[in-house]
Amino acid sequence: MSTKVAIIASNGGQFDAYKVFNIATAAAATEAEVAIFFTFEGLNLIHKQAHQQLPLPAGREQFAEGFQKANVPGIPELVAMAQELGVRMIGCQMTMDVMNLTKDEFIDGIEVGGAVTFLDFAKDANVTLSF
Amino acid sequence: MADISVNVTVDCKGLSCPMPIVRTKKAMDQLEAGQVIEVLATDRGSLADMQGWAKNTGHQYLGTLEDGEVLKHYLRKSRPEELKEAANYPHTISNEELQSKLAASEDIVTLDVREPAEYAFGHIPGAVSIPLGDLEARLSELDPEDSIHVVCRTGSRSDLACHLLAEHGFQYVSNVVPGMSAWTGPIGNQ
Repeated sequence: MSTKVAIIASNGGQFDAYKVFNIATAAAATEAEVAIFFTFEGLNLIHKQAHQQLPLPAGREQFAEGFQKANVPGIPELVAMAQELGVRMIGCQMTMDVMNLTKDEFIDGIEVGGAVTFLDFAKDANVTLSF
Repeated sequence: MADISVNVTVDCKGLSCPMPIVRTKKAMDQLEAGQVIEVLATDRGSLADMQGWAKNTGHQYLGTLEDGEVLKHYLRKSRPEELKEAANYPHTISNEELQSKLAASEDIVTLDVREPAEYAFGHIPGAVSIPLGDLEARLSELDPEDSIHVVCRTGSRSDLACHLLAEHGFQYVSNVVPGMSAWTGPIGNQ
């Protein structure tokens, strides 16, 4: 049986997005089954507009150049790649309700579910990560 | 080291993690079992990543050459049947027996039927390299009267090669089991 990787994304900065999507795409490319649960500010990572320009941490704006120089793919590109590799993305219904967001404000192909949707996947995961 | 022939080259130069792995996976999906891929990368992290990737996907990491800034990784898509050791050619010889014959300088031929890239990253010194897929066309390079010991990685391709040689009148053929995956004797890479 393949390795299962369960990731919780609960922060909405650009650094957070790279941590989440780099691990997710690398794992999926290594034939792992991957699911990400996006909750609270983590929802920014899959929000149609927000994920295009996620903020760098205050005082770390100079890293923008570093990302470009190292030829690191943009977040939208990584998200598309993750989806192509079959990474499951689950938006947290409760947080969406709190923030007054609807599913159509998010990128295509995501699921929406509650904590149990994620737990059901994560209960027998080999790797569980929280960012 | 001589040029290594490969079935496909993937250029990941200038790309950062996880792109070399993602591109390798995509290219590997297009290959047939047994084929060899060359991945060009400048990401230093890919050196460890390729090995970890191969270990987790069951493909075979052959090795890496450095050419200035560029890392050239070589991997081979494994065949499901190689994972089992179903050698059925009756004449077999263990790695240890072959090693002692070679140490005693017995008059034998060691025939390595792995891909050139596998051979390039380590083989029994003096072994003749003819990949299994080329063997039938290159039989004239071998003498049917010689005592030939056929080796591959796990004994599976060499088993097929032994059958092929026997069908063509080679009389003194043995399959080396398990083969290079467990070889502890001298290794050459010239």
